Formats: sequence, structure tokens, C-alpha cells
Amino acid sequence: MGAEYVLEMKNITKRYGENTVLEDVSLSVRPGEIHALLGENGAGKSTLMNVLFGMPVIHTTGGFEGSVSIDGEKVNIASPNEAMLKGIGMVHQEFMLLPGFTITENIKLNREISRPNLVSRVLGKNLETLDMPAMARDARKALDKVGMSIEEYTLVKGLPVGYMQFVEIAREIDKTGIKLLVFDEPTAVLTESEAQQLIQVMKQIAQSGIAIIFITHRLEEVMAASNAITILRDGKLAATRNTQETTMVEMAELMIGRKGQGMVSAPPRTQPLPDKLVLEIDHLAVDMPGEEVKDVSFGVREGEIFGIGGLAGQGKVGIPNGIMGLYPAQGQVRFMGQPFALNNAGAALRSGMAMVSEDRRGVGLLLDQSIEDNIVFSAMQIYGQFLYKIGPFTNKNGRACRKVTDEMIQELDIRCTSASQPAGTLSGGNQQKVCIARALVLNPKFLFVAEPTRGIDIGAKKLVLETLVRLNREKGMTVVMVSSELQELCSICDRVAIVSEGAVVDVLAPDSSEADFGLAMSGIKPGDMKGGADNG
Amino acid sequence: MAKRLSQKLAAVVLFVLAIALVCTGIFGLNGRSGVTGQQIIDEMGLRSLLVATGEGVVESYVDIAKQEATAQVRAAGGSMAEIREAVQKAEEEARATYSNTTLDYDSVDTTQLSGAVEQLREALNAYYAEEAAAREAYADMMLAQMELEAASGTAEDALVDEGPVSAEEDISDAEMELETEPTVDMSGFVATDEMNRLMEQAEAAYVGVSEALAALYEGMDAQAFDALQDTVMALVSQSGDTFETMFDRFQASGGGEALTDDLWNARVIRYGDDLITVGIAVLLTALLVLFYQFLVTKLGLPRLIIGLFFLLLCVLGTVYDLSLPTLLSNSVVRMGMNSILVLAMVPGIQCGISLNLGLPLGIVGGLLGGLLCIELGYSGWGGFLFAIAVGILIAMVVGYLYGLLLNRLKGSEMAVTTYVGYSIVSLMCIAWMLLPFKSTVLRWPLGPGLRATLRLDSSYKHILNNLWSFEIGGFTVATGLLLFMALCCLLMWLFLRSKTGVAMSAAGNNPRFAEATGINVDKMRIIGTVLSTILGAVGIIVYSQSYGFMQLYTAPRQMGFIAASAILIGGASTSRCRISHVIIGTFLFQGVLTLGMPVANVLVPQSTISETLRILISNGIILYALTKSGGVSRA
Repeated sequence: MGAEYVLEMKNITKRYGENTVLEDVSLSVRPGEIHALLGENGAGKSTLMNVLFGMPVIHTTGGFEGSVSIDGEKVNIASPNEAMLKGIGMVHQEFMLLPGFTITENIKLNREISRPNLVSRVLGKNLETLDMPAMARDARKALDKVGMSIEEYTLVKGLPVGYMQFVEIAREIDKTGIKLLVFDEPTAVLTESEAQQLIQVMKQIAQSGIAIIFITHRLEEVMAASNAITILRDGKLAATRNTQETTMVEMAELMIGRKGQGMVSAPPRTQPLPDKLVLEIDHLAVDMPGEEVKDVSFGVREGEIFGIGGLAGQGKVGIPNGIMGLYPAQGQVRFMGQPFALNNAGAALRSGMAMVSEDRRGVGLLLDQSIEDNIVFSAMQIYGQFLYKIGPFTNKNGRACRKVTDEMIQELDIRCTSASQPAGTLSGGNQQKVCIARALVLNPKFLFVAEPTRGIDIGAKKLVLETLVRLNREKGMTVVMVSSELQELCSICDRVAIVSEGAVVDVLAPDSSEADFGLAMSGIKPGDMKGGADNG
Repeated sequence: MAKRLSQKLAAVVLFVLAIALVCTGIFGLNGRSGVTGQQIIDEMGLRSLLVATGEGVVESYVDIAKQEATAQVRAAGGSMAEIREAVQKAEEEARATYSNTTLDYDSVDTTQLSGAVEQLREALNAYYAEEAAAREAYADMMLAQMELEAASGTAEDALVDEGPVSAEEDISDAEMELETEPTVDMSGFVATDEMNRLMEQAEAAYVGVSEALAALYEGMDAQAFDALQDTVMALVSQSGDTFETMFDRFQASGGGEALTDDLWNARVIRYGDDLITVGIAVLLTALLVLFYQFLVTKLGLPRLIIGLFFLLLCVLGTVYDLSLPTLLSNSVVRMGMNSILVLAMVPGIQCGISLNLGLPLGIVGGLLGGLLCIELGYSGWGGFLFAIAVGILIAMVVGYLYGLLLNRLKGSEMAVTTYVGYSIVSLMCIAWMLLPFKSTVLRWPLGPGLRATLRLDSSYKHILNNLWSFEIGGFTVATGLLLFMALCCLLMWLFLRSKTGVAMSAAGNNPRFAEATGINVDKMRIIGTVLSTILGAVGIIVYSQSYGFMQLYTAPRQMGFIAASAILIGGASTSRCRISHVIIGTFLFQGVLTLGMPVANVLVPQSTISETLRILISNGIILYALTKSGGVSRA
């Protein structure tokens, strides 16, 4: 191991078509080092790792620029298998284990130790007998390394989540010649004690000379575990630091950054908002897979634009989904002073709320049906509008539907061939406008907007945000906007709540410092850190 | 661009070809009635005559030679064996001599003959016209007599039979009489005087012909001409036939080579109509090549292929002289009788249970309705409506239970519906054996159980088909059936536009979207399933009234697949469909099936193959349709 760095990625640039997702990023990892890779969602961490592992998604979209060296030797990794042969392993965020197999079998999967037998001599290596005792010995060794005392012949099915994580790690370190391990948010699903144990194991592994890339957004863990830190922001290298030389506040700042001025800015309010709360949420819990809300309480003032921010998977999207009855929810909610029934989508809409879903294609649209059918659907079902009524029979009032659709197409500038174009054939931005139009046709007093700018182009983003501001200022509509894009929230919201691990960490003013937002996103209430930050 | 260019070139070439074909065809058809056609007909007639008489002449020469040989040997006092030998020898020699010396048709001067033939033909035509008139007069007379007898007969019967005659029987009797043409016994017909006189004239004309022939063939005696009289008269009188039959007969008699000069001309005239048909087909192909991309995006490849196959069958049908109006009218009737079953797919697809292959569930309900109607002795419109009402009731109940089942097995609807369809058919096979129906129309004459095929003559056969039906040029329009189909389609269209219908479509299209608007997706799926099952019940009753029979036991098993295939061919996908898909799909599917069989029978003229082909074609279409279950891409 002559080279100083076990891995050197230099000046990596990756474009998907016009879209540059990585620009001139470099990453160097020493042997035996725990190197933390930090960044917001969409900062380019995953893409960088895809480049490292030679994922097909990279090669099928035109490859990348820059160079990758392992042990000082320039390499060209064309496939994940090749990466494995070069001694690079990955511990996945979602476990890639076979539940019906034992721990040993999982660890040795596709690398089984086998003995030749009569049949295999004739028909080839694939029919050799498995040498279970030898495999069990290897598995035991690997399990011991990660500090797991569990029997190696237990089935994976039924193991606690934390254990599965360790099995996954054991599988990686069992590979001979492993030089570099990538941990992709390994602590996201672990309890605190498990997370601490994991960090211990990581340190042990590092001591044995294996380098580790540690992807996470928990700043405390970074401080506790890593030797060096690389921070990405917007596909660019924000900074590389040694852990001893930096502080959590600095990291938070570097991670968030100010991405220039917002492209939309809300006009300042002429008069202060009333203190009257239109929505009061008390200990709300929502069981939304991947976006679980554990315990959230906050209030929204009438006529306000309220932002909810935070990293992906922390539960911010679960809040509107829970209130609107899309996922089972518990807790007390009062809307306009009245108790509000949860878990009833129809009642929520009838009470005057509306929502633009974050899952545009999954929940927000009838992709096969026309723009018109999409826009009038909710109003037709909830208020019975746009219908001819003859006794018990109803029939769609085509003319009224077309009229309101054409108005919406005008107002929101939906780019389409006609109102009868299927919604699925529209671009992302125009689909989003159709979703907004559907909510607006309901004439809501209160609007939830979840991830309104995800996956749409800049022009559409601007228009969507401007529309929200206009609705708020002109019609006095209360808007709650959930977004992963902090800058967006800060540009138009009156207040921004930051959610981490299913709870609101803090409600901040939009002009709070980057450090405050960064810390809040890592689950640290900025006020608690003030002292530390000053010292740093 | 190169592709576009080659496409255009090919289209132009095909276009020119098509125009050439059509022009030649029209020219040919014109020629048929024109001077050229007449000339060719005359010439063909003469040549046939000459060939036929030529053969007769050779035969008579041979006879003469034989007689001479016999006389010679006998004169020499030879034995029987010697006579036989000599006769054989003489026959061979005579044949060898005369068959080579048959007339050189082109050099013969036929003016005298053709004149004589013309006279003979006129005489014969006059005779046959007279004969036909006389026969008709005789038939009318006989018929009047029969009616007179029948009237007095029924009057007597009515007096004798005082028992109650049910109205039903009266109706069916009346229908029977309408259907069977009265046959008149023509054996008592005798030639009239006028006919005899005309016949004499014809015979006189034949003398002229025989003189003309005698001028051509030397050594013919009067006896030979007498022997030839019938042949010649038959040949001459056939001149009134169409060009096609004359030409075909002429070709078959081996006279083709004889007509070398005009052969091509004659062929063009003979196949003029076929040339036009093929020309139109080529024209369509040219248009297809030119607008290929447009058609594919507009219609979708599957519909285009099946549609073209249908057109190809139409062209083949015309070329093989099948009655296209009849075939098309059959296709339309079959479309009508199948359409409700296909329409049953629509609510299934729209509510999210995909293709309702469990359609036999509804079909069984409809069959039960029909059985009850026959058992209780209802007939006509009352019976038909009763059967539908009972069918709907049963379908509603089983459809609801079926919907509950499907709601518990979300995600594997295709498998579940198929399984339900097959199991209900098998279960009902037992039920058909056990159900306590009493009617003798329904039960096997011996032993327990219901018949496999039930005649509906006594209940509601063709009740829709015959309602307001009329005929235009061989094309029968089953107005009632088509109106019923249109009514059902309209109702379905209205339902799909109602608040519930819109909600149901949304629930099928995107359940999470529907849930987000507070719609009970499970309820919507049940509504769709029930509707689909009800339409299955109504569909089978409409189907059986048109078919004239109800089929029990395993017959409903395939119907779900056939209906599913039809709507898929119409352009629907497993998650999205429109009423237009039903109509287009049913027409194409049933049209191809209806036209395919007769055309296949002509192409492969072994009658045993037709059943195999029927199964091949229908299952082939089903398979093809299922591979296209993705439907037409949105564009």
C-alpha cells in the first residue's frame, strides 16, 4: 500500500443531458480513514457513489469526466462487479439481504465455499457441494469483527433492523481484499444505541486498515466518527476539512449555503398577520412509510405562507398527507377553531382544505385522462359541481368543464395542445400546474402544497411559486408549503418549520442564518448550539 | 428522409399499378356488352360448336369405317374373332387418319355457318321464351287450384277440431308457411301448340346449320347430323349465358388455344370485375404505404393489421364471387349479438378489475333467466324482457359477491377472473344436470338434466333481429338488434359521464388519486363488477335470441376471452377503454371471423378444414389481442 490515498476521485463532472449534477468534484480517502461525505438531498452524493461503483446508469447516460484512482493507480470501473473485484464494498441503505436464508448464506452469497463432487466433475463448477462448516467459520469471523454475538445459522427473516445492518456490514468485510467500504446513511434506521455500536464497529474496521466513506446527514455522528469530511453542495465541492479543524456550525453553513438570491420573492406584507390560528396541530403522528411523522405540534396563522422544510425521509411530507387523510394519522387537529376529523379525505376537502400532492404521478393525477377530467374531478366529486342533474341521475356538464379548464389553462399558463390532452403526456411542470388547478377549482381557504417544484424546470418553478404568492396575497388563502428546497421556502414563506426525524425541530424566520437551518436539519435546535457556535 | 422518399416511390408505383388495373378492368367490363365482347362470344360459340361437331364427325367416320370393315370380313366369310380384329384395326386407322385432319379453325370460312347459327339461335330463343311463359302460366293455374283445395281443407279441419288451438302454434305455423315456398307439381305439364310450332321452326333452322356443317365436313351423312342435333341445339341455346360461364366452359373444353388471337382480350373481359377489385385493393395498399405513419399513430398497429386483414378478406370474397353483401350483413348481425358481451368489459376495465374474464358468471345468470322464461312458457317480448329481468337480478347478486372477492384479491385480477370464469362454468355443468326444470323443451327426452342446446323458436328467437329489419341489395339490416346495441352503448356512455361513473373511472385509473378525494375505491370496484356481470347476463340473452339457440354446459367458457379480445382489438388497454373500442373491436373481430370462414373454404376446398380453421382464426385473434393488451399508446 504505497500510495497515500486508497481512493482518489479527481475533477469528476457528470451531466445528465443538459443537467449538470456533478461539477469538478474531487474526493480523496486515506487508508484506514473514516471519511464523511455530507450534503443535502440532491447535492450529488449518490451520483458520486454511482460513478465510483461504475453503475450502469452512469455509463448509459454518457459516462463522466475526470479520473478515479485506487491505490494510486488509475482505474476504469465499468460495473459494480468490477468495483467489488477492486476491493470496494457498499453497505446499502435498504438492506439487500435474502430473508429466507441464514446469516451465513447471506454473508457468503455468490462467494460460497464449495467442494468438488462426482456430479460437478462432469457437469462443471456450478454443481459443487457447499462447504457449510467452512462458510460458517468465515461468517463467524466476520460477525465477530462487527461485534455481533448472534448465531451465524439464524435466518435473516425476523432479525431486528439493526442486526440486518450489521449482517450487511459483515458481508462486506468478509470479502477478501476489501480496501474501501461505503456506508450509505447506515444510521438512518438504527436506534441511538445501535447507531453508537455501529460507529464503534466502523472505527474497528478502519483500524484494520480499511477506509470508510460515511454518507450521512447527522452532524453529531460525523463529528464522533470521522477523520475527514467532504461537503458537497449543488453538485459542487463545498469544502474538504479535517474533522478536528471544523465545527458543526461551520459544516451546517457549508452544507446549506446561500444559493444566491431566490428567483421569486414575496412582496412584503403591508400589515402584520393576525395572531389567529387557522390550523392547530397537536401531537400529530402519521404512519406514512418512508416519511413517518412521530410527534408534531405547530400552529398556522390565518393568511400566512407557512413553510415546512427538512431533509428527505424525515417526515415533513407526512404532515400534509396525514391531515388530508391519505395516510393513517393520530393526534388532535383543529381547523378554523373546529375539531377536525383525521383519516377522512372527503371530509378534509369538504371543510375547505385542498392539497397538491408531492407524488404527482402517483396521487396527484389521472395520467390517462384529459387535463379537463383531472381539473374538474375533485370539485365534481366533493361539491357536485360541473354536473347536469336530472332526478337521481347526473351527467358531466361538458361545457362548464371546458370553460373552467380553459380559464385555468390561461391563468396558470398550462402548455398543452388542448384541454382534452391526456395529463400523462404533459411535462412535469405542466402536470404540476394541472394539480394546482385542480386544488384551485375547489376554491379552498387553506392549501397544502407538497414539493411543488420537484422535478420541474426553472420557468415552471418560478410560475408555480408566483402563483402561490398571488393566491396568498390576493385571495388571502393560507398556504402551507412543504419543500426540500430551503431557498424556496425562505424566499416566499413567513415562517419555516424544520422537521427532523418525525418532529419539528424549530420554527425559524426565513431570514435566519444558514447555520441555523443546517443545524435544525440535522436535528439540533439552533438555540441549543449558540454557545458552541460562538466558541467555534 | 430516404425512407420517406422510398415510401413515396412505392406508393406512386402502386398507385399507377392500381389505376392500370382498374382501367383494364373497366375496359373489360365495357367490352363485355360492347361489340368486341359480342364478337368474342360469337366466335367462342362457333368454335365450341365446331369442336363438338368435329368430335361427332370423327366418331361418325369411325363408325363408317367399322361397318365397312365388318362388311368386308363378313363378305370374305371370316370368323367372329377375325371380325373383331378387323373392326379394331379399322377403328384405329380411322381415328389416326381423321383426328389429324380436323379443321384448321382459323382458315375455315365460317360466314355461312355463323349465319345459320344465328337463325337457329333466334328460333331457339323464341321457343324457350314461349316455354317459360307456358310453364309459368301452368304453375299459376296449379297454385290457384291448390289454394282452393287447401282453403276448403282447413275449413273442414276447423269444423272437426273443436279443441283450443294455442296462439303460439298459430304463429309458428304461419311462420312456417312463409318460410317454405309452395312447390308445384309440374309433371302434368304438356307442350302447347305454339311451342310445337316454334320447335318445328327451330328444327328447320337446324337444317340450315347442318348444311353449313356439311359444307365444312366432307362425307357426313344425314344420320350423323341427326345424332348431333341435340348437342348443337344445347350449345347454341347456351349462348344466352353470362360471359364468365361461357368463357369458363370454353376454357374447360380445351378451346383456349383455339382462340389465340383474342385470348388475352377475352381474359381481360372475363376477369374485368376481379381486376377492378384487385385494383381497388392495390389502391388501398398505395394509400396505406403513403400514410403508414399517420395511420399507425391514429389507429394503432393492432387495429391497422386486423382492419387490413378484414379488407383483404373482403377483396378475396369478391374475387372468389362470394356474396359480399350477405357476408357483411352477417358480420353486422354478429357484431350486434356480441356487442353487449363486449360492452360488459367496459365497466370492468374502468373500475380497475381489468378485463373481466369472469364474464361466464353473468352469462350463467342470463342463461338461468332464459331457462325460467321457457319453463314458465313466456314467449315474445314478454319472455325476452322477463329473461333479461331475471338475468339482471341473478347477476346483481353474484356480481356483488364476485366484487367482494375481487376486492380481497387486489393485484391479481386477471388470474382471479379467469379462475372464477372457469369454475362457474364447471359448477354450472353440475347444476344443469340437477336443476328441477320440467319443460320438455328443456329436458333431455330420456334421463335427467337439461339439453346442451336449447331451441328458442318457441320463446324469443330473433325477436330483436327481426324487429324493423329491412333489406337493401342483399344486405339485411337487423334494425332492432342494432338499436338495442346502440341503446346499451348510450346508457353506458351516459353512466361513465355521471358523477359515479367519473369516480369509478378514477378509482380504476388511479386508486390513490381517488382515495385522496375521499372516494371509496372498493365500492366503486363493486359497482363496476356488478355492472359488468349484469351486462354479461343481458349480453347472452341478446346473443342467444340472435343465434336462435341457448347453449349450456361448457359453451360459455370461451365467451369471456372472445369479448376481451374484441375490445382489445378495438384499441382498449387493460386499464383504459372507450365505447368506440367496443364497436370497432366487435365489428373487426366478428367480421374477420364471419368472412374468414367462407374465404378459407374457397381457398382450401376441403370441407373438413373449415372447423379447424374456425378454431385457428378465432383463437389466433384472441392470442394476438392479448399480446396487444397494452392498448394503443396515448398520443
